[in-house]
Amino acid sequence: MIEVRNVTKVYGKKDNKFKALSDVSFTIPRGASVAILGKSGSGKSTLMHIMSGLDKPESGQVIIGGRNILEIKQKEVDRFRSRTMSFIFQSFFIQANESCYDNVSLPLEIADVSPSRRKAKIIEALKAVELLDKMKSRARDLSGGQKQRLAVARAIVNSPQILFADEPTGNLDSITGAVVEDLLFNYNKKHNITLVVVTHDPDLAKRCDIQINIKDGMIDKITGGKQ
Amino acid sequence: MKTRDIAIRAGRSLKKAKARTLLTSLAIAVGAFTITLSLAAGDGGRAYTDQIFSSNADAKELIVTKEQPSAQTGPQKYTENSSNMATPFGSTSVLSQDDIDTIKKVNGVVDVIPNYNPQVKYITGLNQDKYIATITIFSPNVTLEYAAGSISGNLSDSEIVLTEEYAKALGFNSNQDAIGKSVNIVADKLSAPITEPESKIFTYIVKAVSSKSGLAFRSQSSLLISENSARTLYDYVNAGTRSYDKFLVAAVRVDSAATAKTVKDKLTNMGYFAQTAADILGVINTFINVLQGILLGFGALAILTSVFGIINTQYISVLERTQQIGLMKALGMRRRDVGRLFKLEAAWIGLLGGSIGSGLAFIAGTIANPFISKALDLGDIYLLIFNPLNIISVVVGLVLVSVVSGILPARKAAKLNPIEALRTE
Repeated sequence: MIEVRNVTKVYGKKDNKFKALSDVSFTIPRGASVAILGKSGSGKSTLMHIMSGLDKPESGQVIIGGRNILEIKQKEVDRFRSRTMSFIFQSFFIQANESCYDNVSLPLEIADVSPSRRKAKIIEALKAVELLDKMKSRARDLSGGQKQRLAVARAIVNSPQILFADEPTGNLDSITGAVVEDLLFNYNKKHNITLVVVTHDPDLAKRCDIQINIKDGMIDKITGGKQ
Repeated sequence: MKTRDIAIRAGRSLKKAKARTLLTSLAIAVGAFTITLSLAAGDGGRAYTDQIFSSNADAKELIVTKEQPSAQTGPQKYTENSSNMATPFGSTSVLSQDDIDTIKKVNGVVDVIPNYNPQVKYITGLNQDKYIATITIFSPNVTLEYAAGSISGNLSDSEIVLTEEYAKALGFNSNQDAIGKSVNIVADKLSAPITEPESKIFTYIVKAVSSKSGLAFRSQSSLLISENSARTLYDYVNAGTRSYDKFLVAAVRVDSAATAKTVKDKLTNMGYFAQTAADILGVINTFINVLQGILLGFGALAILTSVFGIINTQYISVLERTQQIGLMKALGMRRRDVGRLFKLEAAWIGLLGGSIGSGLAFIAGTIANPFISKALDLGDIYLLIFNPLNIISVVVGLVLVSVVSGILPARKAAKLNPIEALRTE
């Protein structure tokens, strides 16, 4: 369960003050798929960054698993992130010069998973995104859809509890985008993990259990779910 | 994140930028090359002087003169009681028999051997050809290499040590052939009136033939006889002349190498000028150390330059990999580990550069050694000595220098805000 309470984030100082988020509160139940929907500049990405501990708001709380992640030390936040969260980005952010295997290995290395246990996990993740045959290929030789599937493999390899996807289909055509979407939602249902999708695409948002609409840094409306 | 995994990732990202990594490490390699060579030359030089020292000088011996020889600035007034002797450097006070006896009484002194330098006329051997010869006193403490025969302990009074060149010149078929044969030394009595010249033949048995050596200064030019024989020759040649029993230099033998310094201090207090063998070696070694220091300075300069190269390369690397750093931090990589990634990359560059430089220096030096020895006529002595410990320290030192150079770029990487980094699209 993720609980966001009265989060306010301000950028700039004095005259240039800009409220990216003001007094945002909501709750996401465990295993739900949630779309954070909004236009460009609405504050949806900032919200994702705060929820994942990458950014700190001026006030408010983010409670995950009973702990306010805004109050624990940076070292603990990093540890927490490496063991429980993962990310998928619009522009993939895979290492083009590395093999698919090494790309997927990165989160495991960061989370201090022993080398002997890595291989099975990496193979499992690559199998899930149907890239096992590309294991030794360099990431730069993959197509756009394959690259994002590789990013999905990297995101799921360490069995996260929360998966953040920032415009996961933004750089893909509708067919390959649909494949990636299916992968994410199937994984969400199968493993009962929380999926947070940040998007401006209403069609993608519709596939989620809950839609949180953000407008000018405030919650416009929340649809779906049991609230 | 484990250091091993970070090191592997660091190595991998260097492999991606092969040309850049190689060029940066070549700058370090230049420094490593210079430093490795100068260390090898210093070691070789010192080993060489040590060997020269043990082949020519005796650690249990001091060289004593009446006063420190100094160049005179003008003609000196004659005084009735001064016993001066003209030398190429000016006139110097000489040691008399009284001085010799005084020095003999100093604690720790075993013997005082004045430099007899007997001026002989010529030497003849098997073929009766006459050759000019210089006679020097044999010292059991000076290491000699023998082509034939050998000497354990001291030389007896009827024996002589020839050099290879003399053995040949005097008509012996081989060095071995000369052993046990007799040679004659003919000397003139200097005090004899010109109208009635007087000379005498001194006969010696060849005990050994010393071999040509790159180390020994005197072995090629002079023949060695015992101290008593030298005294006999000297007495015959010089008795009755004005300079008889006046010596420019005397060798003072002490009971051990350790007491040489104490004896030196005592003699200095008594007004004599004494030099231990270590003093002489020290002067040569100081010279070598200065030369080595200059070379090391050039090496250090090269390394200083390469430090900026590393900083520059690593800064560019951080800028190029902003997204990668952002991603790693988003995935929970700690700041410290991000910093370590870049420091380890710098370490790899240092290791590569250090190994290339030291390796090339080792190869070049090993190839050059025989040529240097030949050019300088050093025989089988090598002037460049590569100590594995030195090479290891150079490489380890350069890895450390590289890590230190990598600190600034690593800090920049560690401080990178992941949100900013991931926004770069």
